[in-house]
Amino acid sequence: MPKLSVRNLTKRFPVSGGPSMTALDGVDLDVEEGEFIAFVGPSGCGKTTLLRIIQGLETATSGEIRIDGKPVTGPGHDRGFVFQQYGLLPWLTAAQNIGFALEAKGIPPNRQGETTERVLATVGLKGFGDRFPHQLSGGMQQRVGIARALAIEPEIMLLDEPFGALDALTREILQNEMLGLTERMGKTILFVTHSVDEAVCLADRVVVMSPRPGRIREIVPIDIPRPRASLGEALRDTPEYVAKRHQLWNQLMDLV
Amino acid sequence: MQRSAQASADSKSAGEPEAASDPNRQRRRERLLQLGTLVLLLAVWEFAARDANKLLVAVPSDIAIATWELLLNGELFWATIDSMSTFVLGFVIASIIGIVVGFAMGTNRTVEVILDPYINALYAMPLVALIPILMLWVGIGFLAKITIIILFAVFPVIINTVTGVKNVDRHYLDIGKAFMASRFMVYRQIIAPYALPYVASGLRIALGRGIIAMIVAEFLTSISGLGGLIINYTNAFETAKAFAPVLVVALLANALTVLVQKVEERFGRWRRR
Repeated sequence: MPKLSVRNLTKRFPVSGGPSMTALDGVDLDVEEGEFIAFVGPSGCGKTTLLRIIQGLETATSGEIRIDGKPVTGPGHDRGFVFQQYGLLPWLTAAQNIGFALEAKGIPPNRQGETTERVLATVGLKGFGDRFPHQLSGGMQQRVGIARALAIEPEIMLLDEPFGALDALTREILQNEMLGLTERMGKTILFVTHSVDEAVCLADRVVVMSPRPGRIREIVPIDIPRPRASLGEALRDTPEYVAKRHQLWNQLMDLV
Repeated sequence: MQRSAQASADSKSAGEPEAASDPNRQRRRERLLQLGTLVLLLAVWEFAARDANKLLVAVPSDIAIATWELLLNGELFWATIDSMSTFVLGFVIASIIGIVVGFAMGTNRTVEVILDPYINALYAMPLVALIPILMLWVGIGFLAKITIIILFAVFPVIINTVTGVKNVDRHYLDIGKAFMASRFMVYRQIIAPYALPYVASGLRIALGRGIIAMIVAEFLTSISGLGGLIINYTNAFETAKAFAPVLVVALLANALTVLVQKVEERFGRWRRR
C-alpha cells in the first residue's frame, strides 16, 4: 500500500463574473514510504495548490487523498509543512516558533525545550533559539521552518518552494543540507520547486505538471544512486544528473 | 541612518565638517531650537500682555506664580487626583470594552454586521450632543463622568482593533492551520500580536479623546477636578490661576501618550527598527 495516494483530485476556484478556474484536473499519484517526490512545472500548473490540499490548507473540489489507506479530511500532525515565505511568526523567537508547533500538537511547555534544541541542532542553528526572525538571514529563517516541521515528527514532510526566495549560493548550500538530512532520516517528502536542478538533486521521482488546467504531464524517475549527499558539488557533474536535467528541461520548455 | 546622512549634509552646508556624522549633536541642536522658540514665545507673550487688563489676560510670570501657589496649597494636587482617578478608570474600562468588542467584531462576521453601523455612527457624531441626555439618565456625579469618558474613548479602540484583527496576514493564519493550532492559540499567538500595533494606535487616539471627555464632563456635569478649577477661576476672573490646570492637563496628556508608546514598544520588540 502506498504511503500517500491521490486519486482523481480536482480543484476549481470560482472567478467573479466568469467561468471557474481549474487549478487541478484529475490528478492521480502514489507515493511510497520514504520516497522523495519533487513537483516542477510552469507557474499556474497547480503544484502549490496540490501540496496545500494534501496538507489540508485547502479543500479539493472532488477527488480523494489517503495516507496509509485512510482518507485525509484536513490538516494533521502526521504532515509537517514548510512554507515558501512568511513561514515564521515574526513576533516569536526561533525557539518559540518551534514551540508553537509543539504546543499545537499538545506537548506541554516543560517538554518542548529538549525537542526544540535537538531540531535546531539538526538544521545547524544550535544557539540561535532566542533570535527573532528579523535577526536571522533568509536561509536561517528557512532552516527554522524546516526545524519546526521536523519537531512534530511528521510521517510526511511537505515543502512549498522552501528555497525559492534565497540567493543562489545559500540555495545550493541548503539543497545539500536537505539532501543529507533526508537521506539520514528517510522520511516521505513532497517538495515543490521551480528549479529543475533542485528537483534532480533531491528527488527520487520528479512530477512534471502542466498548467491550465493543472495536470500531471509526466513522472520522471531520477536513478542517481544514494547517498548523494556525500558527492557534494560533484553530484552536479555526474552523467545521470546532466542527462536528467536536460530531459526535464526540454519537457518543461515544451509546456511554456 | 537617514537622519545622520541628512545631518551630515546639513552641517556640511553650514561649514561644520567636524560634526559630519554625529546624530546626537544634531538632536541636541534640534532640542535647543525648540527650547529657544519656547523662550521667545513666552517673552513675546509676557511683553505684549504686560499692559493688558489682568482680569482678562494673564502673563507667563503671573501664571508661574499662580501655579506655584496652587501647588503649595494642594489645590492642584487634589484636583489632579480627582480628574485622573476618573480618567484612568474610564480609559481602562473603555480599552477593555474596545478590545473585546473589536476582537469579537473582527473574528465574527455576524457580530460585525450587527454592530458596525452603530459604531460608525457614534464615532462620527459629536458626542457632546449626547451629554445632556446622558445626565438625565446617570446624573451628574462620578458615574456620569466615567460614562462620558468611556463613550468618547471606546470607539477608536474598537475600530482600530477590528481593522488589525481583520487585516491579519493570511500567511500567518496558514501557519496556525497547518500545525493545527487551537482557536485560542490562533487568537493569542497570531491574531493578538498582529493586531497589537493597530490597537495601540487606537489607544493613543482614545487617550486624547478621553482627556477631552474628562474636561468636558467636569465642565458640564458636577464642576470638579482640573476642569472644575478652570471653570471656577475663570468665573472669578483669576485668569492666571485658570491657566495652571490647563498646564497640568497638557503635561498629563503628553506623559500618558509617552506611556502608551513605551508599552507598545515593550510588546513590539520583535519589529524591525
